Amino acid sequence: MRNKLALVLAAAGMMVAVAPVRAHHAFAAEFNEKAPLKLQGVVTKWELVNPHSWIHLDVKGADGKITPWMVEGGSPNSLFRNGFTKESLPEGTEIIVEGYQAKDGANRAVGANLTYAKDGKRLFMGGSAPGANGDGK
Amino acid sequence: MQIQMRSRWGSWLLVGAAGAALFYLAVIPTPAQAPAYKAPKTKDGKANLNGIWQAMNEANWDIRPHAAYVGPVSVLGAAYSTPAGLGVVEGGEIPYKPEAAAKQKQNFTDRLKLDPEIKCYMGGVPRSTYMPYPFQIVQGTGTVMIVYEYAGAVRVINMGAPTKAPADSWMGWSNGHWEGDSLVVDVTSLNDQTWFDRAGNWHSDALHVIERYTPIGADALQYEATIDDPKVFTRQWKMSMPLYRRLEKNAQLLEYKCVEFAEEVLYGHLRKQPLQGKGDSK
Amino acid sequence: MRHLLSSLIALAAAVMFVSAPVSAQSQVTAKPAPAAKAWTMPRTPEGKPDLQGVYSNATTVPVARPAYLGAKEFYTDENDKVESAKAAPAGRGGRGGAPRPAAAADPEGNGLAVHYDTSQFGLGGPTVKRAASLRTSIITGPEGRVPPMLPEVAKMVAERRAYQQAHQWDSAQNRPLAERCITWGFEGPPMMPVGYNSTLEIVQGKGYVGIVQEMIHDTRVIPTDGRPHGPAEIKRWMGDSVGHWEGDTLVVETVNYNPLVVIQGAPVSDAAKVTERFTRVDADTIQYQFTVDDPKTWVKPFSGEYNMVHIDGNLYEYACHEGNYGMANNLSGARATEKK
Repeated sequence: MRNKLALVLAAAGMMVAVAPVRAHHAFAAEFNEKAPLKLQGVVTKWELVNPHSWIHLDVKGADGKITPWMVEGGSPNSLFRNGFTKESLPEGTEIIVEGYQAKDGANRAVGANLTYAKDGKRLFMGGSAPGANGDGK
Repeated sequence: MQIQMRSRWGSWLLVGAAGAALFYLAVIPTPAQAPAYKAPKTKDGKANLNGIWQAMNEANWDIRPHAAYVGPVSVLGAAYSTPAGLGVVEGGEIPYKPEAAAKQKQNFTDRLKLDPEIKCYMGGVPRSTYMPYPFQIVQGTGTVMIVYEYAGAVRVINMGAPTKAPADSWMGWSNGHWEGDSLVVDVTSLNDQTWFDRAGNWHSDALHVIERYTPIGADALQYEATIDDPKVFTRQWKMSMPLYRRLEKNAQLLEYKCVEFAEEVLYGHLRKQPLQGKGDSK
Repeated sequence: MRHLLSSLIALAAAVMFVSAPVSAQSQVTAKPAPAAKAWTMPRTPEGKPDLQGVYSNATTVPVARPAYLGAKEFYTDENDKVESAKAAPAGRGGRGGAPRPAAAADPEGNGLAVHYDTSQFGLGGPTVKRAASLRTSIITGPEGRVPPMLPEVAKMVAERRAYQQAHQWDSAQNRPLAERCITWGFEGPPMMPVGYNSTLEIVQGKGYVGIVQEMIHDTRVIPTDGRPHGPAEIKRWMGDSVGHWEGDTLVVETVNYNPLVVIQGAPVSDAAKVTERFTRVDADTIQYQFTVDDPKTWVKPFSGEYNMVHIDGNLYEYACHEGNYGMANNLSGARATEKK
């Protein structure tokens, strides 16, 4: 006979163990699939944090006004293993972000695709930092 | 006759003096003066620092020398007030730049909002060492692991050729080596998010800490942390304190996964239905 | 919700299948027995097998054997693996490699989903080192899947799922443990491979083996003197582990889990005991075996096995709670959606 209190408590923590890449993202609540966007801006800060990294960029509107945005990306730990460091995306780099906007209307988006404005190449392309020996040292 | 008497008293004096000296050296060692304690060695010839250790001082409340003072939450009364502390800062004073000292005072005023400990954020280095909970040193070959109870923080110290961090982190990047029986750890790449204590003593992301763990007895280590942060302080300064072995027969680290204890303070305002004061005991 | 669930399964399958075939740097070991080539077991200064190092326990082997493989526990070779995958029915829990569903608002058909691109961050992709394996599933035996739950447990799990669906955005405490950054759910024990950052580090000191899982920097410091477990009143997220050596194998027994812990979809009862066995089988590989014995939850015990492979490099800090903007963002988004 299972403890009723445990039932109520555990309902909060219950997870369906379906897949390794799993529902810790809950992107359905965070970002709006009906609000796709494309941003072009200049990197002001790269937050190499977990569970998701965040790229902060200043986006210049048609009216010349600058709006700061933050864009959600993946955990940086694999980037580190592939030789990337905090120097790999310097402030001032111009990038293009294709993604979806936050549901609460904030200037926040998930970045489904990140490219350099100057040549259209994907950020962190090839999965390995140029010149990296792949062991993060 | 006189010569004999002199030598008799002389020899008693000598014995007495020798006894006093031996007593002094054996019972009251201080790290600066005493002959170095000879720690037992691991099988690979290093001082054996394995064990469960804990600081026993008031540094987590306030690393400076201070009398007892009132806490920031009146309903908690004396239970969350700050006890007096001799301080762990060598020389007593933290050499803040003037604007940095002003920021510390502001941190103190706003500490309920700002202290990372309230949010269950990892304590960083060196605060994790002297939070009032045990930590465990697991001394491997090539690496030394230090596991802290609070928030389950952990550091793995590289004992081989020094390596570099790709980015900043809460617990920093640790490269270690031995100097005699002292484990010396060079800690870099600490982020700017941690504090030194609950009193708002703070640092920037330029913080560089050099720790020394030195056995001073079978059940005690001397811990020293040299603090270098040119953005915040006018010069280097140092903290120093003993660490004591937990001697319970079943001494072990327990879990202190405190995220669930911080969720109301962090996310309570985003609830679908407010808690209506049910969160706090009356 | 079902759409989200199936797209997550598909995403996971896509991640796993994009990463196959396994990179050329792994050796193929056909059977779990130690390799025949001569090597000496490295030992710690205390004379114990040296398990120390940083390891990847990433794998392309699924936890449960796909139903269409029946009782087949091993592929005969890599070719057999490729051929068998072709025979898989499409869209069955993603095992047949169902493609990621295109997002509703993707008129150019770029295949964008409301998610960052995991491969752009090297997560779960071809740069990840994995031990080669010809196993068809992590769970061993003719069934290759978890046994049935006891009927009352299955009922409770269904009730909890229904409750969760109705209340999932009420508060932070209603979110899954991984989203709250309390535990990732793969630390176990038993430790299970994760879709990305599937990394751990082992450090051995006198009388203890320390194991750190990268996500969420969860560390077990396991005494190896076979001492009794701690007080039963102290329930732990990672249980209470005690180890001892049997020859060159580290055997770890864990009891007293926090009742919110879930193993393979079922909450752990107070009768649960998990046994793990760590054996170094070559210079780069540790064989990991586990048995879950929880008579109040499963009709019988089940076991699993996989290899973890040494990687050059470091474990990196995964400070999940400290960087968890997502929790506030999700709840804020949920509140905003309710207002509409």
